[in-house]
Amino acid sequence: MIGTLNRKEIGKGAFMNSVTEPKFKHNRMTLCLVTPLEKEKATVNALVPFVLRKGCKSCPDFTTLNKKLAEMYGAILEADVGKHKNKQIIEITLLTADDKYAIGGEKMTETAANLLWDIVFEPNLDENRFFPEIDLELEREYLIDTIESDLNDKRTYAIGKALDLVFENEPFGIKRYGYVEDAKKITSESLANAWRELIKTAEIEIFFAGPGNPEIAEKVFAEKIASLEREPAGNGEPETVAYSPLKEAEEEMDIAQGKLVMVFRMGAPKTEKEKNAARMLSALYGGTAFSKLFMNVREKMSLCYYADSHFERGSGILIVDCGIEFENRQKARDEIIRQLELVAEGDFTEEEFENTKGAIFNSLGSVGDTLYSVESWYMGGIVENSLITPEEDKKAMEKVTREEVMEAAGKAKLAAVFFLKGGEKK
Amino acid sequence: MSREMTKIESKRLGDCYYKIEHESGLTILLAPMKGFSTAYAMFGTAYGSIDTCIKTAENSEFKKLPEGIAHYLEHKLFESEECSAFERYAKTGANANAFTAFDRTAYLFACSENFEENIEILLDFVTHPYFTPETVAKEQGIIGQEIRMYDDSADWRVLFNLLGALYHKNPVKIDIAGTVESIAEITSGLLYDCYNTFYNLHNMVLTVAGNFDIDAVLKAADKVLEPAKDFYLEHGDCGEPDFVVENYVEQHLPVSVPMFNIGFKGKTGTEAENFRGSILDEIFVGALCDDYTKVYRELYDEGLINATFGSEVFCGRDYISILLSGESRDPEKVYNRLKEEFEHLLEHGIPEDVFACAQKTVYGHYMRSYDRVTGVATALFNCHFPGVDMYEMLDIAANATPESVVEHVKAVYSAENSALSVIKP
Repeated sequence: MIGTLNRKEIGKGAFMNSVTEPKFKHNRMTLCLVTPLEKEKATVNALVPFVLRKGCKSCPDFTTLNKKLAEMYGAILEADVGKHKNKQIIEITLLTADDKYAIGGEKMTETAANLLWDIVFEPNLDENRFFPEIDLELEREYLIDTIESDLNDKRTYAIGKALDLVFENEPFGIKRYGYVEDAKKITSESLANAWRELIKTAEIEIFFAGPGNPEIAEKVFAEKIASLEREPAGNGEPETVAYSPLKEAEEEMDIAQGKLVMVFRMGAPKTEKEKNAARMLSALYGGTAFSKLFMNVREKMSLCYYADSHFERGSGILIVDCGIEFENRQKARDEIIRQLELVAEGDFTEEEFENTKGAIFNSLGSVGDTLYSVESWYMGGIVENSLITPEEDKKAMEKVTREEVMEAAGKAKLAAVFFLKGGEKK
Repeated sequence: MSREMTKIESKRLGDCYYKIEHESGLTILLAPMKGFSTAYAMFGTAYGSIDTCIKTAENSEFKKLPEGIAHYLEHKLFESEECSAFERYAKTGANANAFTAFDRTAYLFACSENFEENIEILLDFVTHPYFTPETVAKEQGIIGQEIRMYDDSADWRVLFNLLGALYHKNPVKIDIAGTVESIAEITSGLLYDCYNTFYNLHNMVLTVAGNFDIDAVLKAADKVLEPAKDFYLEHGDCGEPDFVVENYVEQHLPVSVPMFNIGFKGKTGTEAENFRGSILDEIFVGALCDDYTKVYRELYDEGLINATFGSEVFCGRDYISILLSGESRDPEKVYNRLKEEFEHLLEHGIPEDVFACAQKTVYGHYMRSYDRVTGVATALFNCHFPGVDMYEMLDIAANATPESVVEHVKAVYSAENSALSVIKP
């Protein structure tokens, strides 16, 4: 079971969301700045959370801030950027022990809410009201390393390359951390301006989950938000493409295993029904340890260790990837396509179908069991504009029929194939 | 079947768990958790990649095994004559998996429905091996690809290169999955030998946490488990010296920024000593280079480390090391700076304020693990083989002093018994 979401507007374009979950010992508070994802701004916005993580007026120095967190029983402060469809989301999270587990009776929730606010809205600025030069330089370098670190994990790298092929000029193709060449151009002034624009125009979503009293946090945030000058811009829906001609690419690298990525376009689902059929298709096809891809590409043909599929509901694509011997490229590709065609023809048993539903229900049943998954579930619903509980989702998934899944599989058209093969990097 | 059940409580947390010595020889540790929907179960054995030899009561000599066999066995145990465990779990909706580590192997599932069926499947398939030459041959391709995947993983390579630099003989330096060549030597006969030796219920543990009924576990155990015969197993001493093989090792792989692992090799004690000591080591490492320390700040401001920098105490039955990892354009400078600080702390002690941060951080880290069903089942599992009570981890952290930490670290480590492993682009 998952606690009920309490959502209310506490300021202009600012929402407090809370779920009381008495079984936990910690509270998780996340402050999100949700803004349109735009290529020109993506990089500078992505740098904002990293400089905010360096300190604030009440803890003006990185080491003082980290000491304060350590003293709060090793509180975890995370700053990152995410993307969802055409939205870029700056996320700052603070995870702290609940008041009743503080040995000295400290008011953990109130302290945490104030600190979280300070980090996002009261950063450490220099006399020009810019971010300190040293923070800019170090965090800009780190951002560049993060952008380039895709290369370290060949699986992530290959998927990224395949998505570049598919989304060449679409908003979905904009990179989560932005671009190296744009990062190099960021100055302490442009960074400060990006931050100012974000706190003025982004939608503010605050999420509180845990055993603590959310009203304590709400009071802190509501009072402070009233003092902000706010002009929330709002977010529109992106246009999605249902079909594009097949694009193929390959790259050589000094590696031991080939990485094959195949992307199918299904078109963004227009109804909940379509969306659920596509989710069901992905699970049946390559989402479980008894899926079509697992049972055939791995177990029967012994071609790989992993062969998974994943459906991205925002853009309506189905991604399949596997790691194989270089010479098995065509064999794996043929089988991946054949298995999808078989699903479209209805070549799956009633038992496989029901078992796949069972696996989905099982994972929906566990959403309430970590603070992180509670937050992700509801935040996903908020940005998607479809707030439902996992129980309601389960009821909707129960209704998905074989025919809907076959139809969904039939809609999937191969749009990109990327292969990372052995050899010297060119 | 008859059984003894002991309740173990934590006053600090207000939580408890139950320990059952089942008549079959299996120890069962159960932590029902109110309000949670999921149950998470782990069934495993004190057998992993470091067990490269067998010597039982029947044999007078150690018998050498192919590298990677524990992991191979883990894969093959999922199969039976009728249908695989994955196919059985498919009917219940459970999310099942398994892993092989250096000194243990575990089979696990998470479920929010059908717990009774799932626990029975788990106990049943793990206690009923079925290996044939055909099924063993089929796995060569799959595991071969798993090995290749790790060959390309810079994170994995940087660690194993470091272990190779730290350890002369200890099998902990061997890749868990073995090599494509070593796994080619594995036969169904060898798998049965290993199974019959190490998968004795006296050498195993079952842990369950979350939403489940204690009686359901006991009922399944009574139904499935047959009493195991007396257990005798000698692990042997690998004769590992205190000093390291070399201080520096590097490899070139396609990565964006150089990656490094630094290891301080510790003198091993008993498994329990290693485990309890590792919590003091964690406090020490925090005081050495966590993000609230002066050294961390200096390295960070000089652009020598970034937010990927982290630490871990790597400890098990026959090994203990402090590992530090990250990305750096000058890993040797980072290594030298940390070695200096290591020596400085051992000589001058840990300042009170830094100690308070380190202690609270470690305490908080353990407390967070009790907030998740996976965390509790895993903690029960990890504490069982060293013979430590799960809640003792909090007490060890809470009772530590700057002096006790330094004294412990001095006895186990020295700055020169260390090595640096680097992956360069």
